[in-house]
Amino acid sequence: MSRLLALLVSLLLALPAAAQSVVTTDNVRAELLSEVSQVKAGEPFWVALRETMRPHWHTYWKNPGDAGQPTDIAWKLPAGVTADPIVWPAPTKIDVSGVVNYGFEGDILLLVKITPPADFSGSTLSLAADAHWLVCSDVCIPEEGKFSLSLPVGPAATPADPATRALFDAARRQVPTESPWPSRFGVAPSGDPILVVDAKGLKPDTIRDVYFFPAEWGPVANMAKQTAHVTASGIRVPLKKGDAKAATPQQLAGTLVLSEKTGDGEHRQAFDIMARFDPTVATDAASSAASDAEALSLWRALAFALLGGLILNLMPCVFPVLAMKAASFVRLAGHSRTEIRRDGIAYTAGVLTSFGLMAAAVLAIRAGVGEVSWGFQFQSPIFSLLVAYLFFVVGLNLSGVFEVAGRFTGLGQGLAGRGGLTGAFFTGVLAVVVATPCTAPFMAAALGFALSQPAPQTVAVLLALGLGLALPYLVLAFTPTLQRLMPRPGAWMDRLRQFLAFPMYASAVWMIWVLTQQTGADGVLYALGGMVLIAFAIWLLRLGAPISRTVWLRRGLASIAVLLAFAAALKLEDQPATAASAAGGPSTGVSFDGWERFSRARLDEAVSARKPVFVDFTAAWCITCLVNDRVALDTAVTRRAFEETGTVKLKGDWTNRDPEITATLNEYGRAGVPLYLYWAPGADRPKILPQILTEASVVATLTSNQQAKR
Amino acid sequence: MSNTVVHRRAVLLASAALIVAPMAARAAADVGGSAPVFTATDSNGKTWSLAELHGKIVVLETTNHDCPYVGKHYRSGNMQAQQREAAAAGVVWFTVASSAPGKQGYVTAAEANEIVAAHHAAPAAVLLDPESRIARAYGATVTPHMYIVDASGVLVYKGGIDSIASTDIDDIPRAKQYVRAALAELQAGKPVTDASTRPYGCSLKYAGSA
Repeated sequence: MSRLLALLVSLLLALPAAAQSVVTTDNVRAELLSEVSQVKAGEPFWVALRETMRPHWHTYWKNPGDAGQPTDIAWKLPAGVTADPIVWPAPTKIDVSGVVNYGFEGDILLLVKITPPADFSGSTLSLAADAHWLVCSDVCIPEEGKFSLSLPVGPAATPADPATRALFDAARRQVPTESPWPSRFGVAPSGDPILVVDAKGLKPDTIRDVYFFPAEWGPVANMAKQTAHVTASGIRVPLKKGDAKAATPQQLAGTLVLSEKTGDGEHRQAFDIMARFDPTVATDAASSAASDAEALSLWRALAFALLGGLILNLMPCVFPVLAMKAASFVRLAGHSRTEIRRDGIAYTAGVLTSFGLMAAAVLAIRAGVGEVSWGFQFQSPIFSLLVAYLFFVVGLNLSGVFEVAGRFTGLGQGLAGRGGLTGAFFTGVLAVVVATPCTAPFMAAALGFALSQPAPQTVAVLLALGLGLALPYLVLAFTPTLQRLMPRPGAWMDRLRQFLAFPMYASAVWMIWVLTQQTGADGVLYALGGMVLIAFAIWLLRLGAPISRTVWLRRGLASIAVLLAFAAALKLEDQPATAASAAGGPSTGVSFDGWERFSRARLDEAVSARKPVFVDFTAAWCITCLVNDRVALDTAVTRRAFEETGTVKLKGDWTNRDPEITATLNEYGRAGVPLYLYWAPGADRPKILPQILTEASVVATLTSNQQAKR
Repeated sequence: MSNTVVHRRAVLLASAALIVAPMAARAAADVGGSAPVFTATDSNGKTWSLAELHGKIVVLETTNHDCPYVGKHYRSGNMQAQQREAAAAGVVWFTVASSAPGKQGYVTAAEANEIVAAHHAAPAAVLLDPESRIARAYGATVTPHMYIVDASGVLVYKGGIDSIASTDIDDIPRAKQYVRAALAELQAGKPVTDASTRPYGCSLKYAGSA
């Protein structure tokens, strides 16, 4: 009863204020709203001018574009009370017969923060606003309204009714977030600015309708169309220069808007951009699709690739193979020049063929998945395991545990020992296979460029890398003078060979470490067990004379041992490959600060313990996920709500398509992230939250059952 | 302009080009470059050619009499006063009616003359530009959009009539009158200080959708 009375009283009190806070013109219904129904002195609060436009009519953003004028609010406030500038929602592009305007259609809230002084003494706070706006369809009409709002001042701020709060909550979601990525701009020789947003690891296929709204008239022409290029290394927006005659500004401010396709539809996201001037952006203007951070030109990338290939010869994982090559070269001394040349060419061909195949694989994967980072092969634990085996077997060979016989050529290991051109060719292949894990850290720039380029450039850069790798031997093969400098064959060659086994074992150790990053500790068990089996198989094969009664038995056992070793690889397939691989997975990963890693077991445990559980399925390349994190999940208010409700926070990182997460997504009918699930305490089914979160909606979800419990 | 960049996503670009087509001819006029030449008929049937006005300073003022921003400068008398000052100094001032037929601001010759009479306006002529050819050539986006061509045919000013974008007459005395200042500088043989300013007003009513 008393509640009802209070409601009636508050309604009566609210009525006069409400009546003055709405202005209806021919084309716009405008209303001044407050997010609080009672104000506390010294505590800032938000008000908003809500504009509801007639269909097909629009008002304007802070930069109205080619024509028009933004809404302007002149405040009349009691002494000491301040009003901040309008916080604008992200604009839309409105094309009126080719004249491009930036503005709003439908229903918008222009947010303004009001701060009453701490020593505010009145019992009511009266806000008066004189607002002017230009509203246009194909014709324009200037309109105005005078608004006033009286809010009681009390010991605590009181939130307004839920409907009004919901309006503010939705409005905040329309406001651009600060860009999570750094951005730069350059000026092309034509004078046209180019904006680069260093948003690494995005999925170009999922992003559409990228548009940069400059914050003010001058540096950028509004009417020119924008064709943004989205690649895995970022977003590049070539712009047209505007009419301002000023010298190059130091900063380019504006709002970047894009649509991202997520699991359940398309979401529009907006980011405030403050790009700093960077002269290197423009040097790359010629290649329209390029957007690499280093902004390499093709020629520089090729030069770097060649140099990088040369340096690869000195890498610990490649060096042994090449030393083997060198040793075989020494043996060739005394052979005819033609033969030596052929050997060099065959080796180079092996290297280039391997790089060519790799380029083909990159292109195929890019066509299928859309984005490749170097070292992508190492995201597969099977690949890591096989390379570890290969290093190990090559090491054993170098140690002299076994010699390569004609029949024992399965993996191409130790083929350098084989005479002839085939041997030389496969040494080249082997060099490339063992070189790949070494490439990432040294070749990041050139490879990053290669992978973000159209097909011909990708192939060219990879081949240049291969040529660099093969070049020293090619030069050696064609230069008799250099050959004469080579030491004579002798016992040192065997000693060197045996010594070189150790870098090979070290490389195998490193590969196993990479594997553990992908599979956890179990990977070590399978990998080392597999190596024992392989060593055992080799020992079996070397037992006794080549022709004996037990040869078939030994061969059979050896085959079983090798099969078991490879079965370990299949076992690894079931392991979740979660963490980014050491050899160049996504570098900017998902942050787990304050979150537990998602696993099905942990989820089931928490749910069956009747704890509230919140699950966030995300990925480093998902923009919508990122924005939700920033505006709704990792804010102070939400963190407090998580803490107070004792909610178990699980985060699933789907950056590398973890199969366990994929299965969970499928279970809830999703093909991708984001997906947000909430289990109330004791609930056996989760609540599926929308893909666009707001702070208020998350807090409401977390606290709803708290209230129900009471 | 848009056709040269079509290599990839050809379909997308092609459709974009269709939308942008009205813009293609525009966006050319740059301060410091040659002003696009034109020939047009005025509201009294006389033909004017920019090329033949070599040796004279020419002002272009795009108009749409129903646009509140144009209204601001005619109700206040600001535009007419500047037209008279210009005429007295030997400057040729064209008011250019570029709205497409059926759009706001489109006028017949008779209507154009009525408006001039009602406003006591004093341009050298009101050019009828129903196909928006002059507006396109100069890249005009608003009414009023102002341009000044110097005696040698070089575009020396483009932008707004003054510095305060509003429909409020009270702002005119407070604003910097860019066109008046530019003409004074030109006549004194000085370069124009504010040669490119933000134009403000209603969107120019080109033919086409919306």
